[in-house]
Amino acid sequence: MKNGHYRKRIRGIYEYISDTLYFNRPDIEIKGERFNSTILFGLLTSLNGGKELIIGEPGLGKTTSAEYVGSILYRYPLGVIWGSEVSGHPEQTEEKIIGRPHLGELNRGKEVVVWTNFAQIPVKIVDEINRLPETKQSMILNGVDRGNWEYLNEILISDEYSLFATANYQDRGTNTIIAPLIDRFDILVESRHPGPNIASNIGKETRLNHPLRHPQYEKDLHQILRGNKPYEEKMAMAEEICDLFGEHMKENLGLEGLNKGERREIKQDMMEIDFDLDANAFVRMTLAELSFCHKYGQKRSVEACEEGCHYTGYLCHHIKNCASNRLPISIRNYSQALAWFVEDEEVDLEHVRLVIPYTLAHRVQWKDSYLSKKEGGGRNDPFQIYLAKEATEEIFQRYNEQRDYLLEALALACRAFNGEEVTPLDGDHPIYEEIKNDIGAKDEKSF
Amino acid sequence: MKNPFEAFQQTDGRKREIPLDKILKFKEETLSKILKGYEDLLKNEAKDLVWLMQYSTVIKAYSIAEKKIEGIEYTAEDIEEFCYALDRSDQIPYLITGPAGVYISTLCNYAKEEEITLHLRDLNVKINLLGYRLPPNKKLIVEGNVGDFTGIGLDGGELIIEGSGKNYTGAGMKRGKIIIRHNLGFNTGHGMTGGEIIVGGRIKGLGKIVGGKIFEREHLIFPNEGVKPFYF
Repeated sequence: MKNGHYRKRIRGIYEYISDTLYFNRPDIEIKGERFNSTILFGLLTSLNGGKELIIGEPGLGKTTSAEYVGSILYRYPLGVIWGSEVSGHPEQTEEKIIGRPHLGELNRGKEVVVWTNFAQIPVKIVDEINRLPETKQSMILNGVDRGNWEYLNEILISDEYSLFATANYQDRGTNTIIAPLIDRFDILVESRHPGPNIASNIGKETRLNHPLRHPQYEKDLHQILRGNKPYEEKMAMAEEICDLFGEHMKENLGLEGLNKGERREIKQDMMEIDFDLDANAFVRMTLAELSFCHKYGQKRSVEACEEGCHYTGYLCHHIKNCASNRLPISIRNYSQALAWFVEDEEVDLEHVRLVIPYTLAHRVQWKDSYLSKKEGGGRNDPFQIYLAKEATEEIFQRYNEQRDYLLEALALACRAFNGEEVTPLDGDHPIYEEIKNDIGAKDEKSF
Repeated sequence: MKNPFEAFQQTDGRKREIPLDKILKFKEETLSKILKGYEDLLKNEAKDLVWLMQYSTVIKAYSIAEKKIEGIEYTAEDIEEFCYALDRSDQIPYLITGPAGVYISTLCNYAKEEEITLHLRDLNVKINLLGYRLPPNKKLIVEGNVGDFTGIGLDGGELIIEGSGKNYTGAGMKRGKIIIRHNLGFNTGHGMTGGEIIVGGRIKGLGKIVGGKIFEREHLIFPNEGVKPFYF
């Protein structure tokens, strides 16, 4: 296995966080091993530069889990992570999130931006994002999506970052996360209660100093980040301190984080992991159900399909919106990261089946009729994740029934696309209609 | 534009191998090995499709069967599957219940499981010689009726028939226990020297018994005042 030592290091980080920092119960299983979804997806988010939304009750470790993962993996002392967090509240301003004018320079008539630590360091944590009013959520759209932070006439482009945002369940102080912002998150996980037996051990081993803190390096890093040097230069200097903190973790905790080069190498390895045929076809089937509309050509949140459609039994009939183009990217990135983590050569059905519900949960807008039908039943997951898991299993069942036929249809489509005269296969699933669309075998509807 | 279906170029006719396929394939291979052993036994022992039930032929058939099943990895389920394969004329060229019984008994005696249950209620034929030489620490449960010479030479095992047996049940048994839920035929326990035969229904007739015990409907019918041990 290529670069097996990195996997060993990441496993070590998982085990350390799970055993000593974030008390948890395993809640997902992959390839016969059980993991806690919050830690596992946190690690995968950091490894592939993703964006994760963590929901849960107050005090159940949403923010701390992200802090630990970010601190160890990127080798930033915890104090720096804390100092760069942005908290969501109605009075939050662009100046506190992104940057502010340098007042001294401004007095001299020069426009210089002082970037916040949040905008600069690669571990970005937004605490309680849904306490930001809807109007202010737009401020961070671009940064969340591309890592581009703009202030005055300056722009800071982060070449590498991962973003964690936490959200409480709805209460009087929370707002809805606007659709364009929520779609930018790759994944949604819940930070759960570990159960009374494990919870009773929390706080037993009180330590004067947190093992992930290092006041001297924190001071050095703060100084570098505050400095006037160009961003790239500052980050190179920060990386040197991170190296020192990495050494400190290795010596004292037996943990090895990753430097920038190693993170890039891992990302490259992940991207090279291919999807096997089943995983590939299953993702297509899922996307078809989440974007297809027999009547209007594709799903649109402003157009509702009616009862009596031939495809009433499929998910397209139960949802309001259309799957965005970010969804397949999230599925791909996280499935590859998961396959890398469990040391598989290819992404297979098991990886995508585990990842899809977490990439779908926050993105799908279900019809009210479907929600009222589903709520009230017993479940272990929050409603959104539960619905996404149910939906994935429903599609998987259909995939199992049609697997050979679908692969044949896709193989024929390949030949048709290359110009061969073949008759595309008809089938009882939106994917067959979409295949026909792509090879030009479907008559356009006359309007 | 790049072909969006390129990944599926080579998929024509490719079937997915699921774990069940592997299990079924393994089962089929095992069954064919067992069948091959049985056919070899018949070629040796019943060349003219005739098998004379004699003391020496049974011993010989058993020793051949022991060699034929050597190295085959099988379970009780495979033995049951073999019994049904015997019953289906399209799978086995000929069925002779004597060698078949010896072969099945050998499979049972060398099976990994200590307790074997064969569900043979739907079998059309009554297999003879089931439970032959069943060793200690082995329990063979047969659901359904069985043929002649059941449990002969029983050697310490426990044979339970959830049905009826025919003639010469327990003949020559040395030790162990045979439990018959319903009825038995003539010459029951003929030549047995030890062990117990417990019958829930009726026994048509006893053989010449040397030792052991036979119960009929919870009554000890051998030894008792009317039936004394026979000395050959």
